[in-house]
Amino acid sequence: MNSVIVLEAKGIKKHFGGVVALSNGNLQCRKGRITGLLGANGSGKSTLSKIIAGVYRADGGEIRYNGKVVHYRNPHEARRDGIALVFQNLSLVPDLTVWQNIVLGVEKNRGLFLDNQSAKELSRKILQQLLPDLDINRKVHELSPGEMQIVEIAKAISENPQLLILDEPTAALEQTQAKNLFNYMRSLAQQGVAMIFTSHRLWEVMEICDDVTIFRNGEDVATIDFEKEGKDPEKIVSYITGEVKKSTIQVQRREISDEVLLKVNITGKDKVLKDVSFELRKGEILGIGGLSGQGQQELIYALSGSYPGVRCDVELNGRKLRLIRPADAIQNGILLVPGDRQREGLSLEHSIYSNMIFPKLGLRGHPLFIPETRYCQECEQIARLLSIKAPGIDVPVNTLSGGNQQKVVVGKWLSFDIKVLLLADPAKGVDVGAKRDLYEYIVNLAKEKKIGVILYASDNEELIQYTDRLLIMYEGRIVATLTGADINDDMITATSMRVR
Amino acid sequence: MNTVMSRPKFLSFRIYEKYKKIVVVFILIVLLFVFGATTLPNFLSVEQVFMTIKLASFTALFALCQMIVIAGGGSGLDLSVGYTATITAVLTASIMDGKNEPLLLAVLIALALGVMIGLANGVLTSYLKLPPLVVTLAMADILQGIVNAYVAGKAITGRPSPILVTIAAKFTGKFPNILFVLILVTSITMIILNKTKWGQILFGVGANERTAYLSGINVKKVRCITFTVSGVLSSLMGLLLLGNMGIAFKDMGSNYVLPSIAAVVIGGVSLAGGEGNYLGVILGAIFLQTLTNLLIAFGLGDAGKWLGFGIILFAMLSAYASNRRSR
Amino acid sequence: MNEVSKTGNVFYTFKGLLLKPEVSSFLIFIIMFVITATLQESFFTIKSIVRNINAFTPLILLAMGQAVVIVAGGLDLSSGAALSLFTCVLTTVMKRNDPVTGIYAILVTFAVAILVGMVNGVGIGYLRIPPVIVTFATSYMWLGIALFLRPTPGGESVDWFRAFYKIDAVAGAPAVLKTIGTFIPPALVLLIIGCLLWFIISKTRTGRYIYAVGSNIESAYVSGIDTARTQMLACIINSVFIFLAALFFVGQNQSGDARMGGPLTLKSIAAVVVGGISLTGGRGSVYFALLGALTLSFVNKIIFFANIPNAYQTLVSGIIIIVAIAGPAYVMFSKPKQ
Repeated sequence: MNSVIVLEAKGIKKHFGGVVALSNGNLQCRKGRITGLLGANGSGKSTLSKIIAGVYRADGGEIRYNGKVVHYRNPHEARRDGIALVFQNLSLVPDLTVWQNIVLGVEKNRGLFLDNQSAKELSRKILQQLLPDLDINRKVHELSPGEMQIVEIAKAISENPQLLILDEPTAALEQTQAKNLFNYMRSLAQQGVAMIFTSHRLWEVMEICDDVTIFRNGEDVATIDFEKEGKDPEKIVSYITGEVKKSTIQVQRREISDEVLLKVNITGKDKVLKDVSFELRKGEILGIGGLSGQGQQELIYALSGSYPGVRCDVELNGRKLRLIRPADAIQNGILLVPGDRQREGLSLEHSIYSNMIFPKLGLRGHPLFIPETRYCQECEQIARLLSIKAPGIDVPVNTLSGGNQQKVVVGKWLSFDIKVLLLADPAKGVDVGAKRDLYEYIVNLAKEKKIGVILYASDNEELIQYTDRLLIMYEGRIVATLTGADINDDMITATSMRVR
Repeated sequence: MNTVMSRPKFLSFRIYEKYKKIVVVFILIVLLFVFGATTLPNFLSVEQVFMTIKLASFTALFALCQMIVIAGGGSGLDLSVGYTATITAVLTASIMDGKNEPLLLAVLIALALGVMIGLANGVLTSYLKLPPLVVTLAMADILQGIVNAYVAGKAITGRPSPILVTIAAKFTGKFPNILFVLILVTSITMIILNKTKWGQILFGVGANERTAYLSGINVKKVRCITFTVSGVLSSLMGLLLLGNMGIAFKDMGSNYVLPSIAAVVIGGVSLAGGEGNYLGVILGAIFLQTLTNLLIAFGLGDAGKWLGFGIILFAMLSAYASNRRSR
Repeated sequence: MNEVSKTGNVFYTFKGLLLKPEVSSFLIFIIMFVITATLQESFFTIKSIVRNINAFTPLILLAMGQAVVIVAGGLDLSSGAALSLFTCVLTTVMKRNDPVTGIYAILVTFAVAILVGMVNGVGIGYLRIPPVIVTFATSYMWLGIALFLRPTPGGESVDWFRAFYKIDAVAGAPAVLKTIGTFIPPALVLLIIGCLLWFIISKTRTGRYIYAVGSNIESAYVSGIDTARTQMLACIINSVFIFLAALFFVGQNQSGDARMGGPLTLKSIAAVVVGGISLTGGRGSVYFALLGALTLSFVNKIIFFANIPNAYQTLVSGIIIIVAIAGPAYVMFSKPKQ
């Protein structure tokens, strides 16, 4: 049963700075069918749906909507044409009510004034099927994240779109809310609405979608029609991870000593990060993996003393510490390379030198006058060690490439007495060469100085290549520990998606 | 990879950008001078130039207070500098009463006042997270109120110590003494900002609050300190203003508030924080003073001055804003 | 986990009720009202009520205009200077002996008001300069222009302009109007016009967008709202309120003064805060700014009646402003972040 094609994307290309997000994206959406998009982090599926929705502009390729080629400059243009994107809590105004948000931007008038009556009726009608108990007069900031997500969905549907794009809509939803959503999606499909549905939860995709397109490394690699070909989770996983083994270096799993460097115990009533306990051994590189947004970043920040939502108690070389603020961690040699290097790791207009010496200045007992000559030498040494490509250490870091910027961030700590190095996705957006330099250096550091490294990476490849042990997180907790030969794509994906 | 093996000359920020902005201000000043020289007699006389520098020095010193607060980031501004100076002048005038002996006491009182006011501003903005502009504006109001209350009914008595008068008002040869104060303050400032950890921590906090926090810096404490320093400096300025004017009066300091901010903007220092080149600010103060002289010479007086300042500030804010706009 | 969110219960406790900003500001208003009424024996006489309305109107109008800007996510430090400017424009255009100039003056000043709003609006909305700084700069622009027009307080006003203050001061006014004027002072009429203006706007798209933009400007933008234009409109609305206050002022004093408005700026901001409106925007009812202005005015009256010398009044009002602003901030800190 092949219904009309509503939207066709061919050969879509997109890059952000130096990083290629999509090299060849293709997708077909048909009237009344729900198409799933699956793929690992960074595979390009989110980027493609955002391009279709008008959030990003494609760098190449073409999109045909109802037969016509379209170029949307912003999501509002796409919305007017009938393509609606369900945002993830990015388009709701907290101080307005539910119904006011649902019609925000497209309010209708009655005479000279706003027609609130019909707006409320419309809201009630839509929510009837999604969340009947919700009082549409509540202010959005009072709602739970799940309720907010439903309001976002209602907002997208309110204009009767032809194509509805749901980008990970179930991330914030409870079980019953998700079930209601699926029922509603089925009724929409019956009315002829085409839908794109992305999710990390494989079972959801298998439940609600009519077909699924799998992305890997910036292109679509397979499309499975569930009606014709049935639903085989293992086959899908294999498409996601790729059956063709790349020529990977045979990863030598190193022998790690049994000496425990750090015992971690995190407790608290946080929404994202739940109770976590583990140990880190000397010289070990411990990876934190799993689907994105399961609490990995929060764990790293908690260990650096900068996540006040939980209580972080550690035992470092036998000494008990509670990490409440960054200075606690830093004074004890637990050092953080943060996730967003531009917003958290650097002062962009300052020089390499300024950035590198900065954390030292906050240490207790640092002299008033900065020993310039000595620091300059140290800084240059570190720059050489890390192969930072720059005309000099006095240039501002915003002139450097992403990879070199990241090296500066790491370089900040190299003159410290490092005990534990925390890395929050250090190679994100970094080119291949710089990535290799960075990791080589870190691995050497771990081997020679016997420090402990806790590494979170969104790219599984990095985890596979460099970690000695890998903890998989799901919904704020550790759900699997992989060691030795188990650290491979297949196992990682499977445990991340709770298939195994 | 080639690293320059020599010591970096300026350890902080956009080197070329910094020079660029100072050059711009310098050119503007030269333009003004040329305009003045060609249209007015005596504009380029040595006396005039030094008089301009003398008056500009006061603005420049107030602008230092602003620069420090602004450098700390977080939309920092101190609108209470004017009345802090005023209240110090009013309260210490009668203590000094034209003699040199009580000068030390007056200075101590000024320091105490400055610390109190600055700390209050600092706590309210950093720890209670109230918007600095509103807090310091309200503080100025309170100080104005105190001055009014103190002054009610009686005339402000007291004269500054002769030492103060010498420093603030008098000349040595052709050079105004206050210029030497400015040079001294500038040297100390440049050393502290560029060579000590305090300066670098301040710029780090202003440039990126989150990065500074993750690097273990107590951001709130640093910002609180900037307001305290501003309070102390403006309080000491009160003594200098008193020395210059000879008497204390109610609105002594308020005319310096806008120019102090404008000098910072014109001097090319970013209002977002993270940098602070005092030389540019001094040039900015000189620019404003020259502009004022021109406006007065053309009979445009007060009105022209405020309108001109406002327009220039608005124009420079627009120019810098378009660099920052992300959408 | 239940699906209905838990925060619904907060306001059913007494403490929760108090934490709601509108409730606490209303309570404070009642308290101040009662104290003032007890201190002033003649409080409930018509003469006294009229006198009070006349005294409070300028601040109320400025506060309401300020509230609109604040709700839209901005702040206007130039409202006092704008007020002074408008009085100077009025008294410069008007010529004492030519009644028609009064009409011209109103038209010209209204145009100036729109322009003032547009300048602030461009700075805040389009150029995205932080509102406090840009209005700080513009306040000096208005001051400069005002000083050009009126270096010293003065200027001319036509006779019938007094009707904006007291109808029976106008020679030749119909008797009917004069009698009405003793019960319903013109100031009250101006206030009603202001309230009506906001009432109408709040029912339109712009009114809602002002709240949306103030609440979360990114979400508003993503939803297709022209955030720059919305903020500019908010500034223009503010200017209109200031314009009304200027009419009253010139009606009362028959002269323009370039510096009279200065102290009112901060008071208008304080009134907004006392009215329970958040300085971060997006929340609060503009009418509550009226309440806040009344509360502040009553506090001033109480200070007066408590025989605190004139000189201390600025001091006390400054302290009140800090407390007024710090109070809600402190309360916000005891509530969990969302």
